[in-house]
Amino acid sequence: MEELLRFEHVSFAYEDGAERRLALRDCSVSIGAGERIAVLGSNGAGKSTFFLLANGVLCPKEGAVFFHGEPVGRKKQELNRLRRGVGLVFQDPDVQILGGTVEEEISFGPMNLGLPRQEVRRRMDSAVERMRLEDLRQRAPQYLSGGEKKRVSIADALAMEPELLLMDEPAASLDPENCLRLEETLDVLGEQGLALAVATHDVDFAWRWARRILVFRDGCLAADRTPEEIFSDTALLDDCHLARPMLFRAAGAMGLRPRPRTMEEFERAVSGRQGGETV
Amino acid sequence: MAAVLAGFVLFSLFVGTLPTAAALALCVLAGGALAVFGHHSHGGVLVIDVYARRSRYFAWSPALKTGGCVLLLVLCVASPSPWVPLALALIMAFLTVWGGIRFHDYLALLSLPAAFLLLSGLALLWDYVPVMDGVAAIPLWNGWLVVTAAAQVRARLVMARALGAMSCLYFLSLSTTMPEILSVLRRAHVPSVMTELAVLIYRYLFVLLSAYETMQDAAASRLGYSTFARSIRTTGAVYGNLLAASFRRAGACFDAMESRCYDGEIRFLEREKPVTLPAALLFGGLLAGTAVCMMTGGG
Repeated sequence: MEELLRFEHVSFAYEDGAERRLALRDCSVSIGAGERIAVLGSNGAGKSTFFLLANGVLCPKEGAVFFHGEPVGRKKQELNRLRRGVGLVFQDPDVQILGGTVEEEISFGPMNLGLPRQEVRRRMDSAVERMRLEDLRQRAPQYLSGGEKKRVSIADALAMEPELLLMDEPAASLDPENCLRLEETLDVLGEQGLALAVATHDVDFAWRWARRILVFRDGCLAADRTPEEIFSDTALLDDCHLARPMLFRAAGAMGLRPRPRTMEEFERAVSGRQGGETV
Repeated sequence: MAAVLAGFVLFSLFVGTLPTAAALALCVLAGGALAVFGHHSHGGVLVIDVYARRSRYFAWSPALKTGGCVLLLVLCVASPSPWVPLALALIMAFLTVWGGIRFHDYLALLSLPAAFLLLSGLALLWDYVPVMDGVAAIPLWNGWLVVTAAAQVRARLVMARALGAMSCLYFLSLSTTMPEILSVLRRAHVPSVMTELAVLIYRYLFVLLSAYETMQDAAASRLGYSTFARSIRTTGAVYGNLLAASFRRAGACFDAMESRCYDGEIRFLEREKPVTLPAALLFGGLLAGTAVCMMTGGG
């Protein structure tokens, strides 16, 4: 697996007046192409700071960020290389939205890359298509619904054609139907080979979707393992105030191995076992 | 309030020149119209963009609309007689309404600048002099508040010009969205500091307004406006918080722009809207007509 992004002993502090608060401490992690990563941790644990650093909006106070093996410094060109390769979808779409129409909004990123008009248009069309925004092209994004705004903000990032897409709590303030759609979108993007890192509080989603989980606690990377390992580690879960996923517990109670990730897998496993018992 | 003001200003404008009965009828009519239509119940500024998108002129070239309206506006302001701007105001109002805006909404939007116009009309018309000399007068202290015929002529001209200019601007802003106008200005080599600032102000108007409304609702739900004294205190607190909130918000928005490689210049991909024949004919005709009228009749 090709390495995309690497953090080496990265620390970062926000300057809030006199108080200096370490938001991220000595974080070392590497993310490869096509990975599906869930980022867990309570509010203020450092998830958003991690994302802003990974996208080059913030620069590390100590340590270094590497993109495709090359260190990213403070020069605009290097930062822009990182920002182009790593897309970031902010938690609140209103923060991101700038354009007067959905088309304009999506074109903002590619225009900043200084691409020719045809290329900007191609990228915009492709992002519109991938996020199913055809009917909203000429609408004003400020007036769209929450779920639609979220799709626009994802299209914003996709139009940059990143290799890694970071999403900060994408399901926050979405209704169940839109959450479902979002998950389908994530699946499709994953299948297209895009590496994804999603910050979330939903452990059921993390268990269902992720192949790897990063857990943050008080600005430290507390764990970086597979979902199976993370949710089996009771001490870690207690420490980070994380619940165990419903399916994980149910499978544990029933002694199912391997533990099913989705409801369908669970039903299949259960009915298979009952079938076995009756025979 | 606005209705009374409108009535009074109109009366002062025409008293002495028209028969008193006609002047009175005119002001009652105008006052009544304002009283019925004059209140705007919608989101104020924010709806303008929505109207613009709905307008049948939305597909027209924004450069043509902006250029045409600015030229018409200049002609309006330069006109030596009140008739040309007045006629133009009527034509532009008709065109705007025909473009797909309800007449009632148009009047409601117009009532906002109309208040300024009427107040300045009042100041232009009425003068305080020691000796009574004019077509209408009210005794006050040791002298008179009077309307002179000269003041009437001047006020009629100024108000007609203002009305014409306003209707041109309304045609533009009710058929062209703010981002389009700004992009025209950018292409016209208006300094980018100005256009960029305008883009940001326009954008954050929405953000600030929604933050303000949320805060106000939250305060109202906790009885923050129950008495007059309390509501003053609450308003102060809301404004104070709004500042803090907008600072935080501005930081987050800047981060979001940086994350998409913002390099100090805001650019979007715009739809091509070529100059079409009907649009060119309309503006050409209007401009030529106005100019000819000014040179022959108005001069």
